[in-house]
Amino acid sequence: MKYSFVSTGPGDTLEFGIRLGRFLQPGDIICLEGELGAGKTVLTRGIARGMGIDCYITSPTYTLINEYPGAVPLYHFDLYRLEDGDELYHIGGEDLLYGQGVSVIEWAPRAEDLLPEDCIRIRLVRLAESESARLIELTAGEKYRALVEGVGKSESTGY
Amino acid sequence: MKVLAIDTSSMVASAAIMDKEKLVAEYIINHEKTHSEQLMPIIEELLENCRISIREIDAVAVASGPGSFTGLRIGAATAKGLAHAHNKKLIGVPTLDGLAFNLPYCQGIICPIMDARRNQVYTALYKWDRGNFYKLKPHSAVALSELLEELKAGEEAVVFLGDGVPVHREAIKDMLGERARFAPRNADRQRASSIAELAMEALKKGEGGSGDDFVPFYLRKSQAEREYQKKHGGEDRP
Repeated sequence: MKYSFVSTGPGDTLEFGIRLGRFLQPGDIICLEGELGAGKTVLTRGIARGMGIDCYITSPTYTLINEYPGAVPLYHFDLYRLEDGDELYHIGGEDLLYGQGVSVIEWAPRAEDLLPEDCIRIRLVRLAESESARLIELTAGEKYRALVEGVGKSESTGY
Repeated sequence: MKVLAIDTSSMVASAAIMDKEKLVAEYIINHEKTHSEQLMPIIEELLENCRISIREIDAVAVASGPGSFTGLRIGAATAKGLAHAHNKKLIGVPTLDGLAFNLPYCQGIICPIMDARRNQVYTALYKWDRGNFYKLKPHSAVALSELLEELKAGEEAVVFLGDGVPVHREAIKDMLGERARFAPRNADRQRASSIAELAMEALKKGEGGSGDDFVPFYLRKSQAEREYQKKHGGEDRP
């Protein structure tokens, strides 16, 4: 399943995150891909807001995992500083991934062997036409059919 | 002889006190994984309700793995702390041994399966024969499909239990048909009393030490296997 969206700037990216956040369920896993400054943290802020989490989201680059409490908690991972899945396993990452929260993961390929086959994968790609525009591409498997359809529909109804 | 046993290897948090005569008390909660908050109050309540002081306990037993990483660490840290502080013996009992022991004198093969994610299970095979409990196959983390292929080759009934059952029940039935049985609800998850019973047996044989060097085992696939899988993609080694 695919959905793509052109964001004209951080405001759009945030809004897309909010739309996505409203459809997330416990146990859902989102892998974010995008270079520095592509808007991964902004998108995660939107996701948290959409999930009803009222916390200030910062990058987990140095903490590896930031945990935000909520009706459904949000776990924000940045695996850049990890070697492999073993290291994530040995800080208890697997128990979070398969727990009752939503996981947003940056640098997911570091620990691909710990992830389920079906994840929501989002790429943020810089567009040539403007400094702030991004193509946001979401792909996911069968598990997320309802979510992808819901996110697509929510665009036209405008949140 | 009194044993305090703990199993926090999965979603279940369980603790039990057993003496030479009987299971004195057992607590099982299979609700949310908040073992770090629950385990010590559970142990305290058990001891208080039975008017037993921790000093009267001879050994602390703990499910030693495989299982949830965090769960195993909570169990191990609690058991080691108690054993060390009160100078008691510590006995590690493999999680799957305890799980399989939930079905005493069972007919056929006992196959505990714990969900190891990504269609993998932690498993081992056991069998009762003339009143003795045997491990037919040691612990491993394998693809469910691989386990079922192996079991299909046999003829005996296979009794499945553990938190892998709800995840894989249909696949098991498809593959083994009538030969597949599933443990009833009262026996199909970790119980500290089974850990306690196996620890009693181990104590009788003189096993168990100070526990200072005890570590739980996590049973992840070896690095080599995972590298192979990464390179060759998808399924497990042929």
